[in-house]
Amino acid sequence: MSAQRFFDWGLRLYIGLFFVYLFLPLAIMAVATFNDSRFPTITPWNGTTLKWFAELWADGRMWAALGNSLLVAGGVLCLAVPIGVASALFLTTVESRAKPFVYGLILSPLLTPGVIIGISTLIFWREFGVSGGTFLTVLGQATFISAYVMLMVMARLQRFDRTLERAALDLGATPWQAFRRVLLPFLKPAILSAAVIAFLQSFENYNTSLFVVGYDTTLTVYIASKVRTGLTPAVNALGLVLIVITILIAVVYELKRRRELKPKGV
Amino acid sequence: MDSSVTLDRVVMRFGDFTAIEPTSLEIRSGEFFSFLGPSGCGKTTLLNIISGFLTPSEGDVRIGDASMRGVAVNHRPTAMIFQNLALFPLMSVYQNIEFGLEVRGVDRTTRRRKADELLDLVALGGSGDKPVSALSGGQKQRVAIARALAVEPRVLLLDEPLSALDLKLRQHMRNELKAIQRKTGITFIYITHDQGEALAMSDRVAVMSAGRIQQVADPETLYHRPKTPFVATFVGENNRLPGRVVECHAGLAVLEVPGLGRLTGRCESELSPGQPAALFVRPEHLSPSSAEEETEAPRLEVRIETVSFEGAWRMLEARLVATGDTLRILAGQGEGSALQPGQTASFGYAPDKAIVMADDGSPMLDAETGEIQEAATRPDRESPHVSSA
Amino acid sequence: MFRQLKARFGAPVAMAIAGILGIWLILMVTLPQLQMIDYSLRPSLLPAEIGGPKDGWTLINYVTLFNNDIHLSIFFKTLWSSVLVTSLTLLVSYPLAYYLAKTATPGQAALCLLLLIIPFWINEILRTFSWFILLAFRGPLNEILLTLGLIERPIRFLNGDTGVLVGMVYAYILFMVFPLYNAIESLDGNQIRAARDLGAGSLRTHWRIVIPHAKPGIATGCIMTFMLAAGSYAVPALLGSPGSRWFTQIIYNWFFEGGDWNQGAAYAFLLLILCIGFMALVMRLFKVGLADIAK
Repeated sequence: MSAQRFFDWGLRLYIGLFFVYLFLPLAIMAVATFNDSRFPTITPWNGTTLKWFAELWADGRMWAALGNSLLVAGGVLCLAVPIGVASALFLTTVESRAKPFVYGLILSPLLTPGVIIGISTLIFWREFGVSGGTFLTVLGQATFISAYVMLMVMARLQRFDRTLERAALDLGATPWQAFRRVLLPFLKPAILSAAVIAFLQSFENYNTSLFVVGYDTTLTVYIASKVRTGLTPAVNALGLVLIVITILIAVVYELKRRRELKPKGV
Repeated sequence: MDSSVTLDRVVMRFGDFTAIEPTSLEIRSGEFFSFLGPSGCGKTTLLNIISGFLTPSEGDVRIGDASMRGVAVNHRPTAMIFQNLALFPLMSVYQNIEFGLEVRGVDRTTRRRKADELLDLVALGGSGDKPVSALSGGQKQRVAIARALAVEPRVLLLDEPLSALDLKLRQHMRNELKAIQRKTGITFIYITHDQGEALAMSDRVAVMSAGRIQQVADPETLYHRPKTPFVATFVGENNRLPGRVVECHAGLAVLEVPGLGRLTGRCESELSPGQPAALFVRPEHLSPSSAEEETEAPRLEVRIETVSFEGAWRMLEARLVATGDTLRILAGQGEGSALQPGQTASFGYAPDKAIVMADDGSPMLDAETGEIQEAATRPDRESPHVSSA
Repeated sequence: MFRQLKARFGAPVAMAIAGILGIWLILMVTLPQLQMIDYSLRPSLLPAEIGGPKDGWTLINYVTLFNNDIHLSIFFKTLWSSVLVTSLTLLVSYPLAYYLAKTATPGQAALCLLLLIIPFWINEILRTFSWFILLAFRGPLNEILLTLGLIERPIRFLNGDTGVLVGMVYAYILFMVFPLYNAIESLDGNQIRAARDLGAGSLRTHWRIVIPHAKPGIATGCIMTFMLAAGSYAVPALLGSPGSRWFTQIIYNWFFEGGDWNQGAAYAFLLLILCIGFMALVMRLFKVGLADIAK
């Protein structure tokens, strides 16, 4: 019994330490924003300041990168959501001997390192005279984000009762009406969730974008370049703002998702 | 309007497997018709062929005079009530009922008026705005009926819709379905594995087994004059005593049953001497006989094994002394009520209540190994009340 | 295949599905990869020389790697370190996933899952940057250790592989925790209780009951983590030093500093082979299929 107890307490202590490990660096980064120091740190503390926010506000390249990131994310949404939904529909509808192969192909972007997706996109489009920029960033990111959308839509689609479609047809609906009125409303929550995730994935993407952004730097690529050259606590300020926004989105998204999950248990 | 359904030499094959043997059948306009059979007998396949979800490998389905060949599901004058009802979970009761009209482009006011009428018909008036999830099992059933009726089908197809309900509600819904059918005059085609449902509601029943229709008849005929051994054992309970035909004339057959001697029963078709056949006698037709009675009447000596008290009657499980085969006997109040397990007794039957049928090699007879017992007795155990039907 | 789609959705939607899927799989997934392989098999030529006598398939770009000791050692170091990161992440994640799936109450588990997800909604760059601050030469960690008297001189965490390893475990842990959690959660709690009841100790219960059951989850987690680690660019770039370069950095240099895309493509393809090889190995070792991985 005591061994079991020891084990349980050990586990709890471990969980506690784990969450310290998870959040401490982020907390330190956030606090460092307010340190009046040329270099982002909290030791030594040179006094509290808000001047790094002001500097961030005045950073024109940051704003341009942000605008570009939003543009890319919007483009990715337009591609990845239809692609993801289409492949989920395909996989849940078709039974054929070729299906495992198609399934493997659909999953492959998830199992390929992001840098390689960026590289292959860059090389492929060079043949058509397209060089790095917003367009390629959208294509590169959408290549693998579509697969994430597929997984999320698929999870819900597998719970769909296909008798409902049959019922709709039986009542006189065309296949299109059955799709539009019965299946699509059922998928809507999953599609919305997938869109949120796709947006964030795009916004945060670094590895793929690195190779295809060209001169149309995205915010993430901009932050990385700032960290490596010309690092000031303005980066922390930007980080802090992004963290606050992402946490807000994450919490809202989670709460909404849970509320949607609940009635299904009844 | 002619709402008859005709199956014209319909065959359904899935690869090498033949789900429906060549089947021809006419279901009359305005009839309550049931397909009864164990699971896997092909009754759902037939329903799907009529509704258009499946295209038969051969043959044709006609509704009224019109061939349904090439007519898609959504263009057929049929509506289906699904086993799990398949109500649209994200829509309200109104939206569910109006769905079929909406996709046909019927305007809002007409739709709503129709929906209200139907809700009244199924005794759910005023529930139109409720979400489907807020309804009880019986209410969902009614919404499903209303939704199917909304498109004014000429034929309503019902795929075991009552199987999810509890016993009491199921019995209630039977009456209700029958009443709705009478009121609307629509042809109802009902499929079920529950003989009680089929017998209680239907004008006629088709008993199916292994992709073949065994007999089509009204419930009384099915019960009293089964045409095949399968029907005899599947509809209601029956004791089966196999033997060989000795003679057959004037509607009576004499059977030599090993260990029991010669037993007599009705025969509907010609039987030739020496042919393998079996005598079927229902538990309620067996009654105690005393040794003093005339020796001509068949007598079966048994040892009582169990006695189950079922209220109005007792079911005796007994073993034939001569062969060791099981015999089930229904004993009413008084007669035989003194019998206890372990006792021996003698039972007889009136020869015109027993039927002799040839071993036709139908699946029922092949499966002496227990599969036959299983299929034949299961519906009874689920709902003991059906024996009175 | 199209017939089934058409039967279910009608011709227009079926065509849209087939079209969209086809464009994605052919134009975005398959052809770019093939083009990359094709690139890697051609010599780097001046524009004028393309199509000329020098243009042809060759293995020269692959030979370069094996003739370059530095690049080769970086390749193997990337492989080795990624395996190390994967193992470390598995070690760190397993107790957590087990706690979430089996020990925690539903409320605790929900809270923990939310807490776990939040950092991973935050940019990988920012998460890595936060470690950069924490591990800096004059940063908080060194200050604490100095104050506690555990060290006499600050340590250069960011000068070797330590920072990279720590940062990578931190960056990719969620990709291990979630598959593990899903796999362990599907284990019937009674099996664990039964094992305990039969006298198995905690460790034995894990070894004989929980871990075999969680195999698909472990495989998925390891494949994802390895792929992310081997393909990581940000973490080594931010937390590493010039002496602890990653193979991805070499690839990047071929593209944007060396200007030799053919060479870069060859290196990139080798990285892809490495990941595929690892995946095949893990799938064989754990006897899991592709269908188990995408969960």
